[in-house]
Amino acid sequence: MAGGERLLEIVMPQLGITVTEGTLVGWHKQPGDRVEPDEAICDVSSDKVDSEVPAPAAGRITELIVAVGETVEVGTVIAMMEADQAPAQGVPSPVAVAPGGERDAAPPAPRDAAGRGSAERHSPVVVRLAAELGVALERVVGSGRDGRVRREDVLAAAEQTAPAPAPAEESVYTPPPPGALSRMRRSIGEHMKRSLSTAATVTSWIEVDFSAVEARRRELGVTALPIVAAATIETLAQFGELNAWLEGERYTRHTEVNLGIAVSLGTEGLIVPVVRAAQTLGVTELAERIADLAARARAGTLSPDEVRDGTFTLTNPGQFGTFMATPVINQPQVAILDTEAIVRRPVVVTADGAETIAIRPICVLGLSWDHRALDGVVAARFLAALRERLQS
Amino acid sequence: MTELTYLEAISDALRVALATDERVVLLGEDIGAFGGAFKVTAGLQREFGAQRVIDTPISEEAIIGGAVGAAIVGMRPVCEMQFADFVACGFDQLVNVAGKLHWRLGLAAPIVVRLPSGGGVSGGPFHSQSPEAWFMHAPGLKVFAPSSAHDAKGLLLAAIADPNPVVFLEHKYLYRRVRGEVPEGAYETPQTAQTVREGDDLVVIAYGAMVHAAVAAAAEIEEASVRVLDLRTLVPLDERAILDAVRDCAKVVVVDEANYTCAPGAQVASLIAQYGYGDLDGPVVRVATPDAPIPFAPALERAALPGSDRIRDACRELLAY
Repeated sequence: MAGGERLLEIVMPQLGITVTEGTLVGWHKQPGDRVEPDEAICDVSSDKVDSEVPAPAAGRITELIVAVGETVEVGTVIAMMEADQAPAQGVPSPVAVAPGGERDAAPPAPRDAAGRGSAERHSPVVVRLAAELGVALERVVGSGRDGRVRREDVLAAAEQTAPAPAPAEESVYTPPPPGALSRMRRSIGEHMKRSLSTAATVTSWIEVDFSAVEARRRELGVTALPIVAAATIETLAQFGELNAWLEGERYTRHTEVNLGIAVSLGTEGLIVPVVRAAQTLGVTELAERIADLAARARAGTLSPDEVRDGTFTLTNPGQFGTFMATPVINQPQVAILDTEAIVRRPVVVTADGAETIAIRPICVLGLSWDHRALDGVVAARFLAALRERLQS
Repeated sequence: MTELTYLEAISDALRVALATDERVVLLGEDIGAFGGAFKVTAGLQREFGAQRVIDTPISEEAIIGGAVGAAIVGMRPVCEMQFADFVACGFDQLVNVAGKLHWRLGLAAPIVVRLPSGGGVSGGPFHSQSPEAWFMHAPGLKVFAPSSAHDAKGLLLAAIADPNPVVFLEHKYLYRRVRGEVPEGAYETPQTAQTVREGDDLVVIAYGAMVHAAVAAAAEIEEASVRVLDLRTLVPLDERAILDAVRDCAKVVVVDEANYTCAPGAQVASLIAQYGYGDLDGPVVRVATPDAPIPFAPALERAALPGSDRIRDACRELLAY
């Protein structure tokens, strides 16, 4: 078989229907490294969604063509590999189904023997003992294969450090060693700084009595978020100025509402999946779509198309009790709505023509808007209309 | 205490059961005057009569099916298969009838089916199998696999007393090669695992003839202390003992004489992966017979069955990890 038949091109994959390019984030393999079918060769990224590029066949990497950090078009050749067998080899040889004796006869071959050095990864018991005994694993010299830290090494290290101050006196918080920010944190940071230096951001707040919202959510068995989302979408129909993009001097209003929902990923960061054509959905459908997007955001299985083309964003961090914020606009949108904690407060109400104090669930809605695109009166009227809708 | 071979210990258990419990009857091919394929029942028909030590036609299905019927009316039948391999002919009665009787009809089926199993005697593909996993997979059956003369007698008496159908694997390689002190009279061995060699760097988990191979392998490894856990019963599987051994030793080699795929050791390895994960300091390593029939030729059979050499090498490899 000619060598050329076995040379395979590895290309930048299509990361989503509308995605045209991708950035190379890092290589898992170097020229000369062996790969198995579907083993990750490199990480690529578009916007905030990361993917791995799997090896198309078993073989050896021969060349890396695109450098880390480079952004290339979909279909661009990023690496070359030489496959063990030419593609479309036909029927597998019977060796593939031979008796399994070889498997158990083979020495224990942990997966890390293939790539990263085993010293970088620790067995479950090593991790557990190190935590229990307060042993810093990076300082333990491993006596196992390829320098692997073994259970005995952790126990020996714990014995050596035993006369040191009891772990109980130490702080329970062990800060991680200094290191570079994650890629997601860097990306969020760049995005936020760009928004603040681009937009003329102003935030307006309004207090809303959530009695009607509370009644409605009990009736429908949903959280307040989809109800607020539905009311926001309806109100945006009257205030098209806010459902828009401002890119430089180009100002585009949208007829459809592609509603972005900020989803926290814990300490990793956050992501804003988008409910497309949200004006066509009712409260229950919105609740389902939001729950689905949030679950998949946390599972890391969103497609790049699901985090693009938002026209307005909703952020909802009130679960911890904070009642006001100044959210940063998600560029190139012109506004973002923030809902905070629903707090029971004494308020003045009119009952039978007389004023009195009543206990009502109150929520502060904050709208950050771009003064380049609109003025305060639009924001104020939008918030008033939204309040009207939520209170009725 | 008397020193008996593994085979004599089984004979002794049958004699004690016949003498002390009138419900016990033995059924099998040529187990009467001839004394059975391996002479386990030699002399028992003369001693207890042809009504209690019954020669049957050559039909494993009839032996086990008849035993189930006898058990339903209150007997305690003990069936002998000439070789474990032949139990396949009685599979339906054992797996579908005996194993499910309690759940279908609320009836106990206290039968014992004795299977002379295992290789190492150049028996070839029809006389060397270790079919224990077939029966572990069938709900309702217990599966015993003793490694010593002491446990062979104690577990057989426990099997006869048990209200469940019990598949009793007696290893034919051990019949006359293993001997040990055996108490006189009746006693029952608990249906639990037993540590047969102490150690805390690595544990070898085995049963049946492989216990002896594991002990020999462990003795060769002077640089580390290797524990050997004898499972003794596969159903019930002593999960607590397995997980305790993993916690103490952190490295595990699981040995089967059965074919590799879905052998009892696969169940043990899966148990450890799920419940002992946090105690592991290396991969769970399995040593078993390849997925092929047992060869007749002595050299090929030695290469196929896991001997102490392969167990020792697997231990050394894992100890170095």
